Amino acid sequence: MTQITRGTWAEAGTSLDFKTGNWRSTQRPVHIHAKAPCHGACPAGEDQQAWFAELQMGHPESAWRSLVAANPLPGVTGRVCPHPCETACNRVQLDGALAIHNVERWLGDEAVLQGWDYPVTPPAKDAPVVAIVGAGPGGLSAAYHCVRLGLRAEIFEALPEAGGLLRSAIPPTRLPRTALDAELNRLLDLPGITLNLRQRLGRDISVEGLRERFAAVLLSPGCESPKPWSVKGAVPADLHEGLALLRDFMDHGALPDAAKGDVIVHGGGNTAMDICRIMKRAGAKSVTLITASGLPGPDTAPDDLINVVPRELEEAQEEGIEIIDHATVSRLIMKGSRVTGVEIIALRKERGKDGRKRRVEFEGTERVISVDMVVPCVGEQVAPEAFEGLLNGAYFWPDNLYGRIAPRTFSIGDARGNRGTVAAAIGDGRIAAEAVAAELAGEEDPVADARPEMAFDGLNTAYYAGAVRVPVAKLPVAERTFDAEIEGGIGRAEALAEAQRCLSCGNCLACDNCWTMCPDNAVIKTTELAMDGSHYVFDYDYCKGCGLCTEECPTGFIQSVPETS
Amino acid sequence: MREALEGSLAIARAVALTKPDVVAAYPITPQTHIVENISKLVADGDMHTEFVSVESEFSAASVVLGAAAAGARAYTASASQGILLMSEVMFNIAGLRVPLVMTIANRAVGGPLSIWNDQSDSMAVRDSGWIQIHCISNQEAVDTTIQAFRIAQETDLPVAVCMDGFVLTHTMEVIDMPSQEEVDAFLPPFEFAGALDTANPRSMGTLVDPNYFAEVRHSHHAAMGKALAKIEEIDAAYAEVTGRASGGLLTVDGPKKAKVGIIAMGSVVGTMMAGREHYGGEVGEARIVKLRSYRPFPAKALRAAVKGLDKVIVIDRAISPGMGGVLGTEVSAVLSTLDKAPKVYNYALGLGGRDIPETMYRDLLTTIEAKDAPRFAVFDADLEKLPPEDR
Repeated sequence: MTQITRGTWAEAGTSLDFKTGNWRSTQRPVHIHAKAPCHGACPAGEDQQAWFAELQMGHPESAWRSLVAANPLPGVTGRVCPHPCETACNRVQLDGALAIHNVERWLGDEAVLQGWDYPVTPPAKDAPVVAIVGAGPGGLSAAYHCVRLGLRAEIFEALPEAGGLLRSAIPPTRLPRTALDAELNRLLDLPGITLNLRQRLGRDISVEGLRERFAAVLLSPGCESPKPWSVKGAVPADLHEGLALLRDFMDHGALPDAAKGDVIVHGGGNTAMDICRIMKRAGAKSVTLITASGLPGPDTAPDDLINVVPRELEEAQEEGIEIIDHATVSRLIMKGSRVTGVEIIALRKERGKDGRKRRVEFEGTERVISVDMVVPCVGEQVAPEAFEGLLNGAYFWPDNLYGRIAPRTFSIGDARGNRGTVAAAIGDGRIAAEAVAAELAGEEDPVADARPEMAFDGLNTAYYAGAVRVPVAKLPVAERTFDAEIEGGIGRAEALAEAQRCLSCGNCLACDNCWTMCPDNAVIKTTELAMDGSHYVFDYDYCKGCGLCTEECPTGFIQSVPETS
Repeated sequence: MREALEGSLAIARAVALTKPDVVAAYPITPQTHIVENISKLVADGDMHTEFVSVESEFSAASVVLGAAAAGARAYTASASQGILLMSEVMFNIAGLRVPLVMTIANRAVGGPLSIWNDQSDSMAVRDSGWIQIHCISNQEAVDTTIQAFRIAQETDLPVAVCMDGFVLTHTMEVIDMPSQEEVDAFLPPFEFAGALDTANPRSMGTLVDPNYFAEVRHSHHAAMGKALAKIEEIDAAYAEVTGRASGGLLTVDGPKKAKVGIIAMGSVVGTMMAGREHYGGEVGEARIVKLRSYRPFPAKALRAAVKGLDKVIVIDRAISPGMGGVLGTEVSAVLSTLDKAPKVYNYALGLGGRDIPETMYRDLLTTIEAKDAPRFAVFDADLEKLPPEDR
């Protein structure tokens, strides 16, 4: 029979024999590296949470390196991107989205200023060479990622300068040419990238020829041809398509004479918005945008919203652009071959046979506006020359994530048909380069990031202090010219402070909550044993599965999963 | 050397003579002067002790528990509400059989708030398993404090030395303070077989399941029983060194032929002796039993002490509302096994610092002469001060 000691002393360490872990019956905590919603929403595939974590630790250069692991052009996207990351940001529901866009721009500019080196090593002299058609954001991103992956890249650009639509279609008020050139030139200077200018597909080179000469071919031609536009078959003789007008203006600085009068822009996109603002600034008496989509408001569903960067819309309205939404041009009133007026009709929703609502003309709402010029701006499509047999209608429409349209042949960016942002083209360039590298190495296609996304209700916001979003200066309307950048930048201190607002959704903050609060000391603090990048491991011998750590984890990094026997 | 000292200063010096390794205490009236004087001795370099200033009595008790468990001679002191705040730890100290010493400067327990003397605080922790020794004078308190350290380490039980607040703690008395040599000869260095040892790690305070808890309590109770002999033995040993004993478990004083006895603890014993001196001729000389060891309760010695008495007055300095006296109830229980047990008259006196004058001796003896004398009363309560319905 066991005898008890005086004062019931016990052998040390015996409480460790009580494996409280065997009480666990329904759930166990696990570390799950969820995707932050910004990352999930980023067309370029940036992991914003990862680079904000570097900034939080006070390492801007590491943050930039982490950023350019996905997107080599942060100085560009930090200016032109519609930043769906911010729309998705969980902090929206606390006190305003993180200023991801503005911090990205600061990092991009800082990299140029400080001369931080892109994290690439020169490819081997005999590394396979990938041909890339088009030096727009998609082609440049593809070239950069090829080099990152040990390949060489040879770019063929039809125009005399690289940049694609960044140069031809985005006004310097949004993207100053100094910022564009600085980032582009650093990228083009990387070892392993060759740029051939004035090489037009179909005239100087052919897809077949490239496929014979190069290890792989990446097609990033963009969309050069305006979509056909007419009003019930009628087209003015002196028609100027929006994108062409924009390009001409950027090249020559001049607009047709009719642009001095009352102008109607028909369409709804960033190009339409840019051309509206340029024409207004160039002296048009009035500029009116007619769009089938809706302006932001309680009656507009998200999928019905006009597809422009919100701040561009706001700035356009500040500058006096009139917008008539949920409307279309129903008739052109011509005097000879010249437009003198348009008939506008409102659109209403009607449920079609398939049950889906679509907008149809609302008879009886017609009205006539006197105009001097109509500018269609309804989108662009791939110029079909030189792509015979590869296009599926007006676009490539690849049936896979990587943009593969034939063995060793990929399509990138706007030419894929459903892209529409610089960030998407950059993302395409990266994914295609990764697929090329895998294909050339005889490997399977790379696997996409399948991590689950951390929703706002997965966070414990009690552990976050309130902090207001960094304010960003904007040029007053009166001071806006054709050249001066409208949106201001932020400084180092502001960028670092903004980084502290990142909630680190789904990632370990090393806050010690789990370690402190575990009633069974079943959380062990160790960076050596924690192989998942966190600072802790669970000791399931003692974890009772109470769920306290899951509840108190601020970021949702700890989640309870059903206990399997 | 004889010296006129305030009770609290005398206790501080007595504690210093025992060379404790750790003292932790939180000030509370009327204990404050004890701790103040100890901290002064430490600050002046006259006492080499780790003095831990804590933020509450709970911490004070916890610190001395930890210190003693780590093998240190440890001391604390408190009173009243402080004792109540310590009470959880006091049960642990005793239940874990950790030897250490505390002074309880007896004070009433609120509410209503009272800072004055009675013994309801030590009575409230009566069942915590501590040895409780009551002192009638500051000399006894000094001697008992020194003895308490030896009792604790020879029994593996904590010892509370109870002394009446203000009546003793704040009173000047000529004290014969033993010398350091005498104390060193009497009190061996602290040794605790259960002390924690990093070379041989053990844990204390572990969970004890129902298969063993009853045995733990049995052994604790048995240890208290064995401590009776130790208390007597150590008092005698102290007398050998200093020439002065404190009265073992209890002392009987008065004529052998007396038919009335008074049983009491603490300073009221002295008051009764003075009362007998002045009013003995008038109301008769009672036999006075000074109960020194309250826990363990010296049942056998008490039965012998009342031999030949017809009536016994038990003075309580506390009350158990709904029952009556605490000490009186226990005395009745102990005497009930006697064939010719004296009648027990149990009176609560001097609650919340009410002065107990020498005339109380006369009043008590006169009262029990009446045939319908109450067996229990709050003796000195003036019912005129209460609304009629509350009397």
